[in-house]
Amino acid sequence: MPTTRRQFIKRSAAMVSVGLVMPKLWIREARGQTIAADRKILVIIQLAGGNDGLNTVVPYTDSRYYSQRPTLSFKDSELKDKQGASTIISNEFGFHPALTEIRDLFSSGRVAVTLGVGYPNPNLSHFLSMDIWHTANLTGLGSEGWLGKYADVALVGKVGLPASSVGGVLPKTLYSNKVVIPSILNFAFYDFTTDFNYPGDSTNQLNTFQRTAGRNIASDTYNGAINSIGLEAVKGALQVKSSVANYVSSVTYAPDNPLAQGMKMLAQIITTIPEASLLYVTLGGFDHHSDQISHPNNRVDKFSGQHAGLLRWFSDAVKTFYDDMAQHGLADNVLMMQWSEFGRRPNENDSFGTDHGTAAPLFVIGNSVRGGVYGQQPSLAATNLDIAGNMKFTVDFRSVYTTVLDKWLGVDSKSVLGASFENVGFLA
Amino acid sequence: MAGITYEEAAHLLRRMGFGGPPEEIDDLASRGREGAVDYLLNFSQIDNRSLNDLLQISFDFSNPSDPSRFNGGEMQRWWFTRLVHTRRQFEEKLTLFWHNHFATAISKVPDLLMFGQNLTLRQNALDRFDDLLLKVAQDAAMLVWLDGITSVRGKPNENFARELQELFTMGIADAVTGEQNYTEDDVKEIARAFTGWKPVPPRDPNNQFGFGFVVNPSEHDNGVKTVYGQTANFGGEDIITIIAARRATARFLSRKLLEFFVYPLTSSSSDKVTVEKFADVYLNSGHSIKELARAIFTSDELFSDRARFALVKSPVELIVGAIRMLGGRYNPGTSGRQENANILAGLSGLLGQELFNPPDVSGWPHGLGWINTANLLMRFTYADFLAIFRTNNFDAPGMWLTQDQLRKYSRSSSKKTVKNFLSVLGPLNVDSAATRALRDYLQTDDRGNTVDFVADDLTIDKKVRGLVHQIMCLSEFQLS
Repeated sequence: MPTTRRQFIKRSAAMVSVGLVMPKLWIREARGQTIAADRKILVIIQLAGGNDGLNTVVPYTDSRYYSQRPTLSFKDSELKDKQGASTIISNEFGFHPALTEIRDLFSSGRVAVTLGVGYPNPNLSHFLSMDIWHTANLTGLGSEGWLGKYADVALVGKVGLPASSVGGVLPKTLYSNKVVIPSILNFAFYDFTTDFNYPGDSTNQLNTFQRTAGRNIASDTYNGAINSIGLEAVKGALQVKSSVANYVSSVTYAPDNPLAQGMKMLAQIITTIPEASLLYVTLGGFDHHSDQISHPNNRVDKFSGQHAGLLRWFSDAVKTFYDDMAQHGLADNVLMMQWSEFGRRPNENDSFGTDHGTAAPLFVIGNSVRGGVYGQQPSLAATNLDIAGNMKFTVDFRSVYTTVLDKWLGVDSKSVLGASFENVGFLA
Repeated sequence: MAGITYEEAAHLLRRMGFGGPPEEIDDLASRGREGAVDYLLNFSQIDNRSLNDLLQISFDFSNPSDPSRFNGGEMQRWWFTRLVHTRRQFEEKLTLFWHNHFATAISKVPDLLMFGQNLTLRQNALDRFDDLLLKVAQDAAMLVWLDGITSVRGKPNENFARELQELFTMGIADAVTGEQNYTEDDVKEIARAFTGWKPVPPRDPNNQFGFGFVVNPSEHDNGVKTVYGQTANFGGEDIITIIAARRATARFLSRKLLEFFVYPLTSSSSDKVTVEKFADVYLNSGHSIKELARAIFTSDELFSDRARFALVKSPVELIVGAIRMLGGRYNPGTSGRQENANILAGLSGLLGQELFNPPDVSGWPHGLGWINTANLLMRFTYADFLAIFRTNNFDAPGMWLTQDQLRKYSRSSSKKTVKNFLSVLGPLNVDSAATRALRDYLQTDDRGNTVDFVADDLTIDKKVRGLVHQIMCLSEFQLS
């Protein structure tokens, strides 16, 4: 019987899969750990590809929004979720109808929306604009991430897994000069894997690796450095593996929602590894140059299509994760911050889509936020748009970082960002 | 002709290619230093029909606008098929070098253009540097990647002008003297010289990757520019000729080739002398990449002790090398949608190197930049996968190591078996502590008891596969 990679992954995944339904009380007993009251966890959710801000937080009283978007715009009467409940949040703005759960969290004061977030001389390249956000360096040439720099200041020498991303690639935000931060694709791979045909040999394999990597080789050679990273990696992976195996929750993360699955991994880390404080997850696919909404037989359906689907995933994943944190007594300890490299152009194109834009709203979510709308919506008046027809930012993204660094992570933001920026005010 | 040692030949093949099985190394060793280098360097003379036949049945890029047949994933499958199955090893290694040097990525550039660029790199890999640089600069992929297409008279885009100097030719600071090679004014003036450069869509229906090039006179800035103190109505082509002839370029390119193919350089005066020596070769040979390569690969520097296992393997080198050294199999199938057909590209991405998609214009990391806890664990996982993937169906896509191949290198004792596999996978020169640990592994049963080693079918399937996994996890195997 040939072994395929997929079978391998399935079998490995089965070994670490838990997902038992347990009563809440039992969970608390089983965990047996007390939560430090001052534990501050930051979860970054990147929406990659350029999320359409205008259709995420809809300025439904602005006539220019409707003239720029004859096809894609949501009328105020259309700002209703699929239960028919309004998604309007103020006398100016309403959420996209797919953001049901985010609307609920907003209603209970747990969502801060900052309008018009961007930076001067906006770059319309995904790559460069992402790098600018990742590094908080407006040239895009920085080699360290803004949270990597924070890690250099605050996380050096922390045991366990103080910071981690989930996914195949470590985002530049977490590039650190002093702290080793992994990106874990799945827990089955974050392991010292051995031949599953001979499970009885796995201890021998692990022992042999530890013997060869533990040889006495000068640390200033490539061999010495690689061996010490290898030992650390395997040790850390085994700890993560045995820790996350203790994760129990009665919350169900939707199996077909990749962001929810990523956030489940974050929950497994956060709830079982007390040192975990910086976590990162990415949902891609927001680059909707075409078919942002569905249009079967030219019958436009704004409530389905690519953008609605992705926002539904976002909203569902955030709520599931929030509930999971609450179940583990961690709801006060977690702050979620969403970002995207840019918004999209006000003027819709001819392909049921929108092109690369600039400023966009940004969500910060958690029990600790002062819920509400912050900043100022950029003007859609033609004279206020830039040469490409894009909006001018009103809040520098580094102000959002400043607020999070100063008020949540408790470091001097200037030591991380190299300059001072205005506090947006969404954290007490 | 005096031969070179087996170890030297294996080292040369790892550097000019991705390593290979013992028979290939023996053949190279018998050719001597110059002979072996010339054989690998003159790759166009090596019969590569078996690869071409395989590509023929495995890919259909005849209609690049059909995304089910042609896309970024299929391009990666295509390149990995070449990497594993080619007999022209240096062609692939050098193309990979240039791909990293002129780092351009499908994250921004359409697949079609990225593929066209790869063909351009291959076709000009050993030409005069001026010619390669001009071809790459006029190639549609670069015009998109560094925004040349938006650069017009009155609104020049500086992106290409900057990277041309900083990353492709001279570097900000001179590789030997440390002096500043150009000013911000040079960047601005050079940007003007490249205005109006436009790709032309392919006209030949039989060559849909062959974009043309034109300078659009209405968008080109025809005024005089002052570059490096010279004033004239320079066009982009003039600029490339000027830069390619600068000693700073000769030094920068020599240093980059030495660090990619030989060993990391220090700021010592003796290493500066080495860079100067090869810069002279470049300048005295009319900027011939081939002559510079010949000088580097036949050099005492390449064959020095200092060069041996002095480089950290890139993920592609690690993945392709292990399969080639062990005589593993990679069947690319006929479509990336088949299960496991594109497994090598997938694994390479997990190890940190996605072909056609370098992280940014400065290329991939190097040295210990390749190694962090997550991707080192993935290297170990790859080692495990290659060691333990078995099949009864060679017609199915995927990667395997057959029982026959493992039997070929197994010997009657644990000592000889360990020694043989260390040789096949290097030869790796490891200390007695590692050898002892590997022998103990072969002779330890599931209960931890010491047993005799007998190379029977079960032991080969269990312990020899485990041994391959272990050797590929050694720090020494991460090095080239």
